[in-house]
Amino acid sequence: MSPETNVAAKGGGAASGSVAETDNTSLCYQCSRCSAGCPLAEEMDLLPHQVIHLLSLGLEDEVLRSNTMWMCAGCYTCATRCPNDIDITTVMDEARTKAIEKGIPCPNPDVLTFHKCFLRDLGRRGRIYELRMMAENNISKGKPFDNADLGRKMLLKGRLKILPPKSLRGFKRWMKGLWKR
Amino acid sequence: MEGTASSFETSLTAVFEKLGIEYDTLKDWNCCGATSAHALDHKLYMSLNLRNLALAQNQGYEEVFAPCAACYHRLKSADLELSKNPDLAETLKSETGFGYRGTVKVRNVLDLLTNNVGLEHIEAAVKAPLSGMRIACYYGCLNTRIPRSDCFDDREYPMSMDRIVTALGGKVIDWSYKTECCGASLFMTAPAASAKLCGKILKDAEARDVNCIAVACPLCQNNLDAKQGEIRAEAGIPRAIPIVFITQLMGLAYGIDESRLQLASSIVPFDLKPAGVTT
Repeated sequence: MSPETNVAAKGGGAASGSVAETDNTSLCYQCSRCSAGCPLAEEMDLLPHQVIHLLSLGLEDEVLRSNTMWMCAGCYTCATRCPNDIDITTVMDEARTKAIEKGIPCPNPDVLTFHKCFLRDLGRRGRIYELRMMAENNISKGKPFDNADLGRKMLLKGRLKILPPKSLRGFKRWMKGLWKR
Repeated sequence: MEGTASSFETSLTAVFEKLGIEYDTLKDWNCCGATSAHALDHKLYMSLNLRNLALAQNQGYEEVFAPCAACYHRLKSADLELSKNPDLAETLKSETGFGYRGTVKVRNVLDLLTNNVGLEHIEAAVKAPLSGMRIACYYGCLNTRIPRSDCFDDREYPMSMDRIVTALGGKVIDWSYKTECCGASLFMTAPAASAKLCGKILKDAEARDVNCIAVACPLCQNNLDAKQGEIRAEAGIPRAIPIVFITQLMGLAYGIDESRLQLASSIVPFDLKPAGVTT
């Protein structure tokens, strides 16, 4: 399969079908270059090449219960190096989406909490109000004073704006149609 | 860019003025969703970036320049996927109201400076060369690693920033971590993991006796700078290393005022001024 057909085969996320179906994981011959280059490999309970192997075998739930995709930083080293051109980083995105859909608890809840807070904030104005987003993230994860010292320094250095950015007209409603969580 | 990385914006604006680069700000641009959108919902990420691409197209632009590496990566990846997958483009058009014909070229700061402005022009504007400064160029992940796309530079051993620093009169060093990951959003979500990665990057740079690390990504700058004290204590790094945007270094070499370079807005102080700069 050429790289072009590989991208075209993607149906726009994991919402339809299995994760393995949305990318060509069956092309993997287990060279493990992805795992060898992964900067977060030591934090993962399944290594990237094991994830691809399990998906090819149809053992998706094993993958969805792992912490691997939640510890993935999205650095694209694996996808850049894969000799079979499997976009492993995007497979991780699809695995996260699928795990949420299936209601599988996130083993690193702080990761999911942050992304939800970020998207909720984005949905309000179309741009991020960093101060509020960070405060909400702290409250949501139950650590209200997390990074408080850093936040104070950033405010003093003028790197955190106190006032929110201007709202984009009609954006809130537009994004509501796309993101309901 | 307007918040935590405001020094990137102000220094970039000042340097562009100096080099005579004209630009507009895209009207009504929205946040690209960063990691959070593509991490959880492919369609949401595609829609957010489709909106920006369509705005650029409808406002009559042929190119969109995204200084933030994450914005650049998201925009360019979305552009690529929309062109390869017309069915998805059609579905998203009806769902979001934004149609895009694939006419906008997405550029980042290193691409624009080396391929449009040119190294000769960059060098010609230098007033106070960065002589004597040893600089490690750190590209991070998202400026060069976009799967299945043409890249303006080598994906795993880029040199564009090194060439800019050389043009400014600085001494670039060769090192092992120029494209290693700083942890990106894990800085917020799994800080211990991100700190370990940043520790390795800082340790390698420190061992090569650099004056600073140059970056072209707001998140790289934040992650290596904001908690550097704690990271250094954990990793046993004896000396603080300032993390500066490439545009701040350019501004320094061009004699641009600190009020626009905002070097003091970093957590790790940067007071080393190359010979000849009196401001």
